[in-house]
Parts: sequence; structure tokens; C-alpha cells
Amino acid sequence: MCYIEAVATHLNLTHDIKEVVPDATLRRRMSRIVKMATATAFECTGGVPGIAELDAIVTATGLGCLADSERFLEQIHRTDGQMLNPTPFIQSTFNTVGAQIALLAGNHCYNMTYVHRGRSFESALTDAMLQLKEGDACRVLAGAFDESTPTQHHIMERMGFWRGAEDGEGAVFTLLTATATSNSIARISKVEFLPSPLSERQCREKYAAGSGTRVWRSLDKTVYPCCSAMRFAKAVEEIRKGAPEVVVYNDYFGKEPTIIVLQCL
Amino acid sequence: MESLIRELKEHLIRELNLEDITAEDIDSKAPLFGEEGLGLDSIDALEIILILEKHYGIKLQNSAEAKPVFYSVETLAGYIAKNRR
Repeated sequence: MCYIEAVATHLNLTHDIKEVVPDATLRRRMSRIVKMATATAFECTGGVPGIAELDAIVTATGLGCLADSERFLEQIHRTDGQMLNPTPFIQSTFNTVGAQIALLAGNHCYNMTYVHRGRSFESALTDAMLQLKEGDACRVLAGAFDESTPTQHHIMERMGFWRGAEDGEGAVFTLLTATATSNSIARISKVEFLPSPLSERQCREKYAAGSGTRVWRSLDKTVYPCCSAMRFAKAVEEIRKGAPEVVVYNDYFGKEPTIIVLQCL
Repeated sequence: MESLIRELKEHLIRELNLEDITAEDIDSKAPLFGEEGLGLDSIDALEIILILEKHYGIKLQNSAEAKPVFYSVETLAGYIAKNRR
């Protein structure tokens, strides 16, 4: 179990990227998703002082910094592996966002990135909760991000991947603590990786504590590997509005199902 | 030479993703590296080497000659004018 002190999504940013990353040299090398995710982490922690206080930064992504990866692969293809620009190579690694967040405040704490397809966010949450439970950390920033690109959309469309779903993108960060504080909003009581999909009824029977529990399953048509993080953020908002418990069921095109159980304090 | 300088500035802006900077903002004689001029760094130096290779067919053979060549847009353009293929 751990406590949620703050949640931010790329949809509610209040700071301009120039405010978040004042260094123009650093900023001009950042791709759209790196800027989006870094700004979301900044929003969640309240800025550089908040990042400096973190004991661990755990990020998750299904596809990583896709635009830079595509740029790098396109250059390999076009130049036959010769004359490759260094910037997209450097920035296309999956842990770029976690590293950029740490660089903002010169934070040298535990910094890990999980790339586990549709279970990436849940993997990051699990690691964050273990860090808190074992006393290795008191304040952990956990988050997830994924971007969509026209090339990715086109390739997945040709593969028949969408099947009525719509692709999406986003960044979500949450600030977790080991003990409840005056700023705590909710608690995460459970994160589980399920061996097979569950129906809404099965989710309710197995995980709901009472009749007031809301079970969220297949909330919308938008699908991307870390979209469960956005559902997590909406569930926290639901708790803030008065829901006693929200069970967030997630699967990635019917595979890799997971459960996150959030409870009010 | 003027058109080459202009073209080179446009390559630098595009390839180095220089935010909010136009060709007119770049002083041709100002240092490219360090705090006085554009404030470029070692990663940018690698990008400039690629600009020379890709757009002008120039391979810098001797790293010792890089420092005076990479001093400013003007010195770079002078080197390109002499060595382009």
C-alpha cells in the first residue's frame, strides 16, 4: 500500500516548457513527448524543489520516444548506416524522460524505466510501491508516457491492430509516499498482474470492498500502451470527488490484464 | 559567398533545432561555440560535421584543423567554398 499526494496529466499543465526547462540547449534537443512528459512531472512535483526531494523516479513507457526512434531508423535506412545524427540516437532511448526529470534538479536518486508494453505503468507502480514498502524511499515519482506518430498509426492500421479502437498518447505522473500526509488524496491498496482477462462482474467479485466501489473496465476507445495511467489519473479524480473505492481494470487489446485498486482515506 | 553563408545558417537552424532564431539573428563572425556566440556544444559539433558531409560532400580528415574552421559561420563557409565537391 502507498499514498497518493499528487497526480498530473499532460492535459492540465500550467507551466510553459521554457519555464520548466530554462536551458535552451537542453530544450532544443527534447522531442515533443520528452517535453510533454517532463512538463507533466514538473507539474506533479511542483517544480525543481519538489524533484530535488524525491527518493526515486520510476517511469514507464510502452513505445518510448517514438518520433526520435523513427527519425534514427529512417536515417539508418536512408544513409545505409552512415552519417547518423547523434541527437535522435541519444534522445530515443526509453529512459530519456526519467533522466531529463533528474537532470532538471540534479537529482541522483534511484532512477528506473519500465518498458513492458501494456503493463509498463503497473510495473512502474509496483517498483515504486516496493521502494516505499522496503523503506528505500519516502517520496517516489512514478509516471508513464507514450506518443503516437503518423508512421506508427499507419503501420498498426495496416496490421489491423486498431479494430475500432483509436490511437492516443499522453503523460501522467503521480507522487507517492509511504505514509499518509496532510496532502494525501487516496491510497493504492493493490496492483496486480492477472493471468487472464476478467469481466466486470469478476472484477467486482474479486476486488470490490463494498457496493459503492466503482469498477472501470474499457472506459474509452483510446488505446496506447500506457493509457491505464490516464485511467488511473481519472480514478484518483473520482476518489477526490467522493468515491470510496475505484477498481481500474486494464488490458492492452485484451492481453496483459492488470488491476489497480484505489481507495479513499 | 553571401548565399553560401545564408544557406549554411539555414542548415544550422534546421539541423541543430535552434529555437526562435532566424538566419538574420546569427552573426556570421561571432563564435559558434562557447557563451559569446551561439553557445553550441560538442554534440552540435558532430551535427556540423554531418552537415559538411551530407550537404557539401566534405569529410574533415584532420581533427586539428576543425577548431579554426568551426570558429564561426564565416570560417565554416570559407572552408566549404574551398573544399566542396
